[in-house]
Amino acid sequence: MARLAMLIDESQCTACRGCQVACKQWNDREGWLYSRTRNRGTYENPPDLSPQTWTRIRFTEYEGPDGFRWLFLKEGCMHCGDPACVAVCPTGALKQQPNGLVTFEEELCNGCGYCTQFCPFHIPRLATDLVTGKGKSSKCTFCQDRVTNGLLPACVKTCPAKALDFGDRDEMIAKGQERVAALKARGYTQANLYGVDQVGGLGRLYVLIAPPEAYGLPANPQYPALANIWQKILQPLGNVAFGATLLGILGAFLFVRRKIRMEEVR
Amino acid sequence: MTVQLKGRAEAITIQWIPKYTLMERLGHWLHTATFVPLAITGMILYFPFLQPLAQGAAGETFRLIHRVAAVIFGLLPIVYFIVQPRRLLLNIREFLPNKEDLGWLKGAPAYYLMGKHEAMPPQGRFNAGEKMNGLVMIVAWFVFGLTGIPMWFGKGVISPELFRWLVVFHDLAMIVSVCMFLVHLYLAVAHPLMWAGLVSMRFGVTSAEYAAEHHAKWYYGPKRAMEIWEAKKRQAAEGGHS
Repeated sequence: MARLAMLIDESQCTACRGCQVACKQWNDREGWLYSRTRNRGTYENPPDLSPQTWTRIRFTEYEGPDGFRWLFLKEGCMHCGDPACVAVCPTGALKQQPNGLVTFEEELCNGCGYCTQFCPFHIPRLATDLVTGKGKSSKCTFCQDRVTNGLLPACVKTCPAKALDFGDRDEMIAKGQERVAALKARGYTQANLYGVDQVGGLGRLYVLIAPPEAYGLPANPQYPALANIWQKILQPLGNVAFGATLLGILGAFLFVRRKIRMEEVR
Repeated sequence: MTVQLKGRAEAITIQWIPKYTLMERLGHWLHTATFVPLAITGMILYFPFLQPLAQGAAGETFRLIHRVAAVIFGLLPIVYFIVQPRRLLLNIREFLPNKEDLGWLKGAPAYYLMGKHEAMPPQGRFNAGEKMNGLVMIVAWFVFGLTGIPMWFGKGVISPELFRWLVVFHDLAMIVSVCMFLVHLYLAVAHPLMWAGLVSMRFGVTSAEYAAEHHAKWYYGPKRAMEIWEAKKRQAAEGGHS
């Protein structure tokens, strides 16, 4: 099955945040955890991603070659080609689908939070009771229910600036490269396409007009080496250790029972 | 106390001598009663075939059990130190390695598998095997605490890189300590030579004859214990019964 991807043209984004509203509406997400929004001296709202906020526009004040400008970044799950969260999830709540979507089933999640600690982009977020540990993490699913029924993700459908697109990943890369070339021709010398090769190739491609670091994106995100240590080292090691111990005990038990007579023991 | 055992013609008389205080036994059994549920609830996240137990509300419940047990498990040695500090220091001194431990390692196979008493040099109140078990459990207690507390309270506070390593060391401590626990369990409940171990951990007393045989250095003192052992070895070499 061909991989699907979202193309986000940040040069088109007006930071209207319609995508945030559409996402919450379609996915039944609540408002921020506070009862009311507080002024924090920024246009950003809510203050951060959370299990209730799967996507959010990040505002960055940027001093570039042509002077000051805003940079807008639609944050959310990157749907990596090599998703570390799927490797570490002990419940199977996180899965990578054949079409490349990294999906999340909330009812399976037990709130261990491993996904929040192994994601190279710090995307999944956990809301948990500090004492009891009761809680769940959550993240963007690319509207799996809509996409598998031939609809666009809610954010893409709603975007009035046509900054969002969704479809076959190769097509999205080609479109993104065209946009970068067009932007460069218009004088945006730093324009670039982000996400083609990172972490197995991202399912979320960004057309940027400044270097990724300026947006707060990691220039060279790495798949965490320890994400597969369970499958590759710890579980085989544990199996060998527990197996050898139990076999040794069983052997000793059978051997000693014949060699040492309880009647002669003092 | 006189006991009539099946298979023995005459009744045997057991003289009981004290070995563990009430606090020590209580500490030991509370350690067991928390270690076992901690290991089981922890393995739910560790073994892929236990995945159904990790999902949703079941996983949340097992985490709660893990945390309640962890608090008791963590506080036990601290409470013991507050209640019986001199006794704890005494036990730690008896857990320190000495040269009899090498003799134990050499003699252990013949002693534990064949029941050859003359192969085992006299041991103190704790023999080298018990010391190993104690050492592993003490080190594991520190590792579980030093990795578990930040994993519980530190998500979002400590760096993700550190968190990843904490999970790895928590798992390694589990693998080593569970293996040690299994061996300890076998020796305590199923090994014929070690019959008095479970009695003394339940009732605080051990048989005088058992102590003379298995913990001679503690029972007789180092000098007399060595003399008796040398005599026993000579006797065995001459073909007599040990």
